[in-house]
Amino acid sequence: MNTFSRREFLLKAGVGLGAAAFSGYIPGAGFISAASAAELIDPLAPKAPHFPAKVKTVIWLHMDGAPSTLDLFDYKPELKKLAGQPIPESYLKGIKTSTQGGITKLFWSDKREFKQYGESGAYFSDLLPNLSQHADKIAFIKSSVTIGATHDISILKLNTGDVNPGRPSLGAWVSYQLGSANRDLPSYVVLYNDNKEPRAGSVNWSSGFLPAVYQGVAFRPGDSPILNLERAGAWAAQEQRNSLDLLKRLNEKRGAAYPEDTELQARIRSYELADRMQTSAPEAVDLSKESEATREAYGLNDETTKSYGQVLLRARRLAERGVRFIQVVSGPALPDGDNRNWDAHNSLEKNHGTNAKMVDKPIAALLADLKERGLLDSTLVVWASEFGRTPWGESGDGRDHNPWGYTQWIAGGGVKAGTTFGATDEIGVQSVGKTVDTYDLHATVLQLLGLNHLKTTFLHDGRTERPTVVFGEVIKDLLA
Amino acid sequence: MQKKAIYLAVLWTLTTALAIADDKPATPLADATKVAEPAKSTEPPKVAEPSKPSRAQPKLWSWQPVQVPAEPKVKQGKWVRTPIDAFVLAKLEAKNIKPSKDADRAAFIRRATLDVWGVIPSPEEVKAFVTDKSPNAYEKLVDRLLSSQKYGERQARRWLDLARYADSTGFQNDTTRPNMWRYRDYVINAFNQDKPYNQFVKEQLAGDEIAPNDQNALVATGFLLNYPDNYNSRDLVQRQYQIETDMTDTVGLALLGQTVGCARCHNHKTDKITQKDYFSLQAFFANTSVNEKVVPKEKGEQEKKFEEAQAKYLAATKDIRTKQKAILDVYREAGTKYHKERYLTDSREAIFKPEAQWTPLDRWVNHRLENVSTERDIENYLKLITEDKSHPQHTPASEASWAEFKQLAAELKKFDDLKPSAGSKYISAATELGHPESPVTHIRFTGVHERPLDEVQPAFPAALTNEKPNIVPSATSSGRRTALAEWITSPTNPLTSRVFVNRVWNQYFGSGIVKTVSDFGKAGDKPTNPELLDYLASNFIKEGWSVKKLHRQILLSSVYRQSSDHRADAYKADPDNQLLAVFPRKRLDAEEIRDSLLVASGQLQDKIGGPAVFPPMPSNVIVGNNTFDDNPLWKVSKDVHDHNRRSLYVFTRRSVPYPMLDVFDPANPQLVHSKRDVTTTPLQALTLFNNETVFSWSQSLAGRVINEAGNNEAAQVDRLYQILFARNADKFEKTASHEFLGKQAQIIQAKAADGKFVISTPIGLKAAPAQDPIKLAAFVDLVHTVANSNEFAYRF
Repeated sequence: MNTFSRREFLLKAGVGLGAAAFSGYIPGAGFISAASAAELIDPLAPKAPHFPAKVKTVIWLHMDGAPSTLDLFDYKPELKKLAGQPIPESYLKGIKTSTQGGITKLFWSDKREFKQYGESGAYFSDLLPNLSQHADKIAFIKSSVTIGATHDISILKLNTGDVNPGRPSLGAWVSYQLGSANRDLPSYVVLYNDNKEPRAGSVNWSSGFLPAVYQGVAFRPGDSPILNLERAGAWAAQEQRNSLDLLKRLNEKRGAAYPEDTELQARIRSYELADRMQTSAPEAVDLSKESEATREAYGLNDETTKSYGQVLLRARRLAERGVRFIQVVSGPALPDGDNRNWDAHNSLEKNHGTNAKMVDKPIAALLADLKERGLLDSTLVVWASEFGRTPWGESGDGRDHNPWGYTQWIAGGGVKAGTTFGATDEIGVQSVGKTVDTYDLHATVLQLLGLNHLKTTFLHDGRTERPTVVFGEVIKDLLA
Repeated sequence: MQKKAIYLAVLWTLTTALAIADDKPATPLADATKVAEPAKSTEPPKVAEPSKPSRAQPKLWSWQPVQVPAEPKVKQGKWVRTPIDAFVLAKLEAKNIKPSKDADRAAFIRRATLDVWGVIPSPEEVKAFVTDKSPNAYEKLVDRLLSSQKYGERQARRWLDLARYADSTGFQNDTTRPNMWRYRDYVINAFNQDKPYNQFVKEQLAGDEIAPNDQNALVATGFLLNYPDNYNSRDLVQRQYQIETDMTDTVGLALLGQTVGCARCHNHKTDKITQKDYFSLQAFFANTSVNEKVVPKEKGEQEKKFEEAQAKYLAATKDIRTKQKAILDVYREAGTKYHKERYLTDSREAIFKPEAQWTPLDRWVNHRLENVSTERDIENYLKLITEDKSHPQHTPASEASWAEFKQLAAELKKFDDLKPSAGSKYISAATELGHPESPVTHIRFTGVHERPLDEVQPAFPAALTNEKPNIVPSATSSGRRTALAEWITSPTNPLTSRVFVNRVWNQYFGSGIVKTVSDFGKAGDKPTNPELLDYLASNFIKEGWSVKKLHRQILLSSVYRQSSDHRADAYKADPDNQLLAVFPRKRLDAEEIRDSLLVASGQLQDKIGGPAVFPPMPSNVIVGNNTFDDNPLWKVSKDVHDHNRRSLYVFTRRSVPYPMLDVFDPANPQLVHSKRDVTTTPLQALTLFNNETVFSWSQSLAGRVINEAGNNEAAQVDRLYQILFARNADKFEKTASHEFLGKQAQIIQAKAADGKFVISTPIGLKAAPAQDPIKLAAFVDLVHTVANSNEFAYRF
């Protein structure tokens, strides 16, 4: 009898009862109206985008710790020239650094070399020998800006748009607005190449004020990626089947007294979905069927690239299986305390040498693999970080945090490949011209998924909330 | 000074309270981290004055005084047991809908016990009630439920949702707040003692001011102190602003049902709350700091135990720590200076200012600095100058010091097991640091803390009330929060009682009389039954703000006693059941599911209160250490009894939600959590079906059933149903169970044949099992399956 959750859900989603303002698609059944989607009490029922989508899946590669994009993509001959000198005051206008007297001399590693690649002539440094081969697949954003001086608040902002915990992550918004394309798997998956949970944890894939069903599901390393996938009590498959059959009988008998109760019906179905997930989730991450060539391409045969390569290969398999949003957090390259992530306050050469090596080959393989399988046109790969790093040195041979100007990139369906948007100043301190904040990146990602970020809304505590808070502009120059 | 400090500030920050989404994006935030330019003109941007409520436009319904409505006349007078029923029935009769018959007693006691206690009743309790022939059987039941401590535990959980309760700070470091469990216990006790709601609110807002010598009242201020926090923030001025913002928004939502936070960046778009009103409210919290080291007046058993354990650790590690301190002492001055210099400009200004010149804001900043500074700051400095060979302070001596320090740290680590695993010897309480003067509060342009506009004084929203705060500073405190608390708990405040009774209604009926339980503004829903709401609110005040009396009246009403059986006529007339012609069934909350499984299996540890506990994590969830203090984020409780405490006592680590609870839509501690969602997902099914801990509870439940019912299969099945569902199994269920047991035994037998003979048998059998192990294993599977059914996860 109780249909409150359905009603409230519709109201919060900004849809009046009975109004078919959004609609859902069920494979084999065609589009259904929002009202009937909600009749199923199925918050993950697939829903139509606002306009035709360019991509079905996002693979969001978060470079944890913040790489120096000055050492990867954003070639600054002037910085090379001025290396070892104090930074000219003019570059610091309008910004404040967080440390007293923290600005030391400009730094340039003598090992750094940049070359142009592809028809686009994009610059890549010596740290990315493999990725550079895919220059023409990439659209660079070289005027990224964000808020924050510490990792945690800027990572939160990268994922949720706010520097305080509590808002939904981008993946949760996508899951909420589009539903699931494969009910045998979660629609929003989080991957990381570490045996430990990433720091600050689930707030970065939280559903915030959206219903919890939209939060990211962390896929743990190992054969059994989701918690509680393995049968309890040493059960054999048949024991479980027999139990599930009994459960269904009991639930249906009792449920007959509540013929209109779609929530109870949904719970009956959830056990069948869980049963399928027990098979589909391990299968989705089972790399044993991948060819030796693929394994080699992703770097599975090399100690430095192995863990990240495995995670990206999983990401591709999940993309193939219709997972909507795959958030990949980069983990430690080696079991080496100093190189746990890209946060190179000192010894940048050593740190970036390892971290770049960890991701370079696997990401190149991912792009090539997606292309080869015809998936690149329907997948968006985002290479993002919480901020960049300064052109001046720290501790002699490291770099400090830079939220004023750094590079991120996107590749895949609907992307104007082989282009560069925005720029930093001559030495890479600040963005010049039009900048791209987190909100703009989020708006652009949503756009490619067929979603208008202004219309992706949820009513919470009296406010019509959206992923881009009150900001955000689609960067049209990045779109094909 | 104030102005300069603000203009120099660097990072400005967006917090969650933001505008209703415009169709146009606002100015891009590209320059977010650039220095905020002082306004070029000497005139600050104008802020709209509050529009005065005109006579033509009456106040919003919720801002008007609570009425005392007359009990409506109804035709079916017999159905009316309490005034509540008359108000509900009047609406039903107007639509020609009949209310439902009473639920049967067994269904009623299961429902009421879950609602009041948060766990299922025992079969004995069910039997006693079902067979109670006395005319006041229901009253006896309800009074028994309300007088149990479990009532306080269940109600506390709902309140903690609003208080964004957690045992840690959140953000990346997610540091433990070792004293917050005392606040949780305060809330439990307040409900159990039926502390009048007005008193309850006053203590939480201003306990330190109104009763500085009352330890309980100090603990109560934990309500304000549950804000997420990052101890490594380098912008302390911004922290102050964010913390007072959190307090303001929390009080607005949780106590007043007003989305005041919307008015921080601009005038409220739908309600008559101006930006000036917002900052005038914020001014009440401007001088609020936290003291996390209040020494309890009297040491209880907990404190003694903690200190004893701590003394052991300190004694065992004395030598190591003395040596460590000696090393750090050499670098202390330079290290402290380095640490202080890492703060942003305006924070630094306060930090390096002589104390004699401190403004109230400087005082706040310096107190904060003291709170978050640790030995580790010096240690980090030593590490830095050692590892960075180009550092001017790098010397062979520092290298040797660091090497020695690291070695000592490794030694020290070996004693970690001796550290007290839970508990604390201090209390956390709000404080105004012994000074009545508050930092100046400004309106902030678009809510940005570096953009101060006009100064404001503490005041209540102008369009809501003409009342002025009666602020009486003491020698040690501004008195502002007391004045706010007095207004909020005044019998004439139109919001406080309405908002609270509506929350309680929502708890029982799955939906409030006002559905948007924390938004009584214009954008929120209107009450479906305004007379009922005002009756409840006015009666609540009349009854001395007694929460128990409110619960009692609802529990004894005919509305609450109705059956939840589907009725086609009612469904057709009122498909959303807004008028409550049928009792709405509800999915159990996360805590109710876990706790009821523990009760059923006989494993629940019934202890009330105390430090939070850490039940084991699933084996593939590997939680690391805190990067701030290197303590483990999840150290499984040594005492296995602690693994089976009520979920309310499970440590709330903001970054590591406990997985078994996390899948069932628990409160999100980052926010004021107004209402539990119900989502239905396969991850929930996986948890209840596959989780080894849950399965072991089924094994225990199977053992209990056999112990209590003997070896007769039908008796066993009945007992199982009695425990889980407060009823006997019907014929269909008995047949289905019998068929299942036969088939399951065959399957298990077949497993034995292929050599993989692992079975799970009942746990805790008192007598030697009379049945063969295969049948026993099949019975465990039956128990586990039945415990997974919809009937268990719902209350009808």
